[in-house]
Amino acid sequence: MPEISQLSGPEAVRVGFYVCHCGTNIAGTVDVKALAGYAASLPRVAVSREYKYMCSDPGQALIEQDIADHKLNRVVVASCSPLLHEATFRRALGRAGLNPFLLQMVNIREHVSWVHLDKKAATEKAQDLVRAAVQRVALHKPLQKRRVDINPSVLVVGGGIAGIHAALTLAEAGKQVYLVEREPTIGGHMAMFDKTFPTLDCAACILTPKMTAVGSHPNIKLWTYSEVVKVDGYVGNYKAQVKHKPRYVIDDLCIGCQECIAACVYKEGKTPDEFNLGLSMRKPIYLPFPQAVPQKVVIDRDTCIEFKSGKCKKTCVEACGDRLAIDFKQKETFDEIEIGAIILATGFKTFAPERNPYCGYGRYPNVYTSLEVERLINASGPTAGEVILRDGKKPASVGIIHCIGSRDANTNRWCSKVCCMYSLKLAHLIKEHTGAEVFNFYIDMRTPGKGYEEFYDRLLDEGVHFVRGRVAEVSDWAVHPSEEGKLVIRAEDTLAGFVRRIPVDMVVLSVGLEPQSDAQDVRRLFNISCASEGWFLERHPKLAPVSTFTEGVYIAGACQGPKDIPDSVAQAGAAAAEALALIDAKSVELEPYTASILEEECSGCKSCISLCPYQAIAFIEEKKKAYINEVLCKGCGTCVAGCPSGSIKQNFFEDEEIFEEIEGVLAYA
Amino acid sequence: MELKRTIKFEADRDPEFVRWISHTVGGERIRHCLQCGLCSGKCPLSLYMDYTPRRLMHLSREGFKEEVLGSSSIWLCTACYACMVHCPKSINVTHLLYALKQRAIEEKRYPRRFAIPVMARQFSDMVRGSGRITESWLIVKVFLRTSIWRLFGMSGLGLKLLRTGRMPLKRERVQRRAEIEKLLDSVAATRKELAI
Repeated sequence: MPEISQLSGPEAVRVGFYVCHCGTNIAGTVDVKALAGYAASLPRVAVSREYKYMCSDPGQALIEQDIADHKLNRVVVASCSPLLHEATFRRALGRAGLNPFLLQMVNIREHVSWVHLDKKAATEKAQDLVRAAVQRVALHKPLQKRRVDINPSVLVVGGGIAGIHAALTLAEAGKQVYLVEREPTIGGHMAMFDKTFPTLDCAACILTPKMTAVGSHPNIKLWTYSEVVKVDGYVGNYKAQVKHKPRYVIDDLCIGCQECIAACVYKEGKTPDEFNLGLSMRKPIYLPFPQAVPQKVVIDRDTCIEFKSGKCKKTCVEACGDRLAIDFKQKETFDEIEIGAIILATGFKTFAPERNPYCGYGRYPNVYTSLEVERLINASGPTAGEVILRDGKKPASVGIIHCIGSRDANTNRWCSKVCCMYSLKLAHLIKEHTGAEVFNFYIDMRTPGKGYEEFYDRLLDEGVHFVRGRVAEVSDWAVHPSEEGKLVIRAEDTLAGFVRRIPVDMVVLSVGLEPQSDAQDVRRLFNISCASEGWFLERHPKLAPVSTFTEGVYIAGACQGPKDIPDSVAQAGAAAAEALALIDAKSVELEPYTASILEEECSGCKSCISLCPYQAIAFIEEKKKAYINEVLCKGCGTCVAGCPSGSIKQNFFEDEEIFEEIEGVLAYA
Repeated sequence: MELKRTIKFEADRDPEFVRWISHTVGGERIRHCLQCGLCSGKCPLSLYMDYTPRRLMHLSREGFKEEVLGSSSIWLCTACYACMVHCPKSINVTHLLYALKQRAIEEKRYPRRFAIPVMARQFSDMVRGSGRITESWLIVKVFLRTSIWRLFGMSGLGLKLLRTGRMPLKRERVQRRAEIEKLLDSVAATRKELAI
């Protein structure tokens, strides 16, 4: 290890030390005057100061002035987390003509003042951390950031309203967009809805124009029935592999005439229709719904007779005639694309109410989920818009139960945010369609949003009943003549203070929102994080809500957390803007924390090659040495720790720098 | 119509009771209660209660001791645990109702001739004295202290049970009864020590 005295040869190390009060955030718990005095006593510290807000303009000017006046060549700032202000102080060094990487920050707010109560002990801990930083900074070397070009195309994953809006925004800005959707059509959950709250505009009327715009936009490459299977690369230069599942219908030849569907040997559908949630049946060859984009039929190989026995008359092929669009031999194909940024809009799934057995779903035929009722109300749904029970009768009374699966330690703890509003909407629509008495069972009515409270007010005026209480049980057990043949909802009316039994014909379960079941696989694929509940984690909940900890990967819509349509669209716009800001910069600066091989010491054992998560290390056969591609290296340090001969070094985290820091911490005063 | 003042003043609240409730077994998570009423809906006895379990939760955490300990609900709880199993905030409702019963007995705040607390008292006295329960004597003792007329009403059933040997009159006892007493005393001492 080189002695520090060796470094003070021609150019002596002169450290400037600055401690920030951060108002009372730091100064309330750490004795900043004492800390500045202590730092002044450390070797090589030329200037030591404390200041109320170091990040303010005068604070930064102070550092710049000192660098000039005192010929400082290293700076240590003790303040908040480097995540917040490292860039600020590095710029200050740069303005004063010093290499920005000659700075070291000490986090005495998050690591000291915010987590300790005892002022004396906190000050001592701050002193230890400052000593470590002052010793470390002496070994810092000037580093240069790297610039790499950015590929201006964007990959959008998920074709729900968020993905559609993000793709259209980017395409309108003239960027090449790849929109990948795993279902045969785009539209997502919104396409299943009837009306949207609080304005009650028809979901299809506002969504389908956007869907057709996506389908026909010259800048959008739409891939439905496809999945992203592999992602490599780094910000600005990602490579993705997209798998196209076989539809058994050739995209370019199918014109969406649907004659094949009519001609199918199945006269009636026999398979539960996924789009109508099993409330109607479809044939093996089908179009998910009338306004599907693209208008291309798809064959379900699990139910098609040709696939099962190979002995079908293939009336569909006959009907298709010389268009020759049906191809039973189609195989999955792959596309490799290069993109600069990725937007994930993979959405949510609804809570499976079987997990709450007491609400009777699956046991009583007239217990429906809210999404099923959306389909019942929808004019293109299984009953052509009639709200009828399984026996074809109109319900005279309906109970809508909120918070199914939400706000419950036994299932999901979170509030799903949209259920109160969609329950109000369903209450209105059911009343409008059937004239039934409608009861809403809620815990708290959550209607924050423009026009939302007014909508609640409208429902109150319409005479919908509101019972404040979580439903304990739905059963068909009658204890009173009025309950015979009905479903009885038992709940405490908490505002009245007693338990009520309310007989109804139909029960609607307002199921909550959950992360997609494969959210963990998706986050691993794109190398982002999930919060503990499984929602994708944003970089900052307030200030970077659509960014992730992986540069160039953005999130939008309900994959980040429960969200209604206005919020999803707003987030999709924000994600598109962030992606645009990135790719329009044409090039991106990369941190210089890369690792490199010390060739004279490398034994060529290849241990590091399999360790690298970014495939940045190659082996040069002629030299029998490893080689690290600086552009691909993310500076994770895995290879540095893994190298058996210690022949990999990493900028800014060289062994000497780390050892010096450890010694500094351990050298108790 | 009799009019009653129902307004409550801060002075009506008992801060000691609030402190006790949040440290007692069952009260640990009472502050998390979101007053959804699932406990009341699940409760098979709530149809007779003056305050539903949900209201007891809120009255307890706010310190309205008079209402809580004077409520019939705490004596109606059969400890079926339906409330506790389903509580969306994992509050130990049944444990808490036990704690409230104990507190009410300690403070002698229970309805004198109400069968449930009398039964609890006689049960524990009998365990302390004999180490075992003799059902025939327990029933007789409870009826003597609550409603002697019901004892006569039930005598037909009692005689049948006696005749078929389902309810022997012979008192059951364990040996080394002093040790049972010591054990129960030690539990009581620990409770006092922990102030629960």
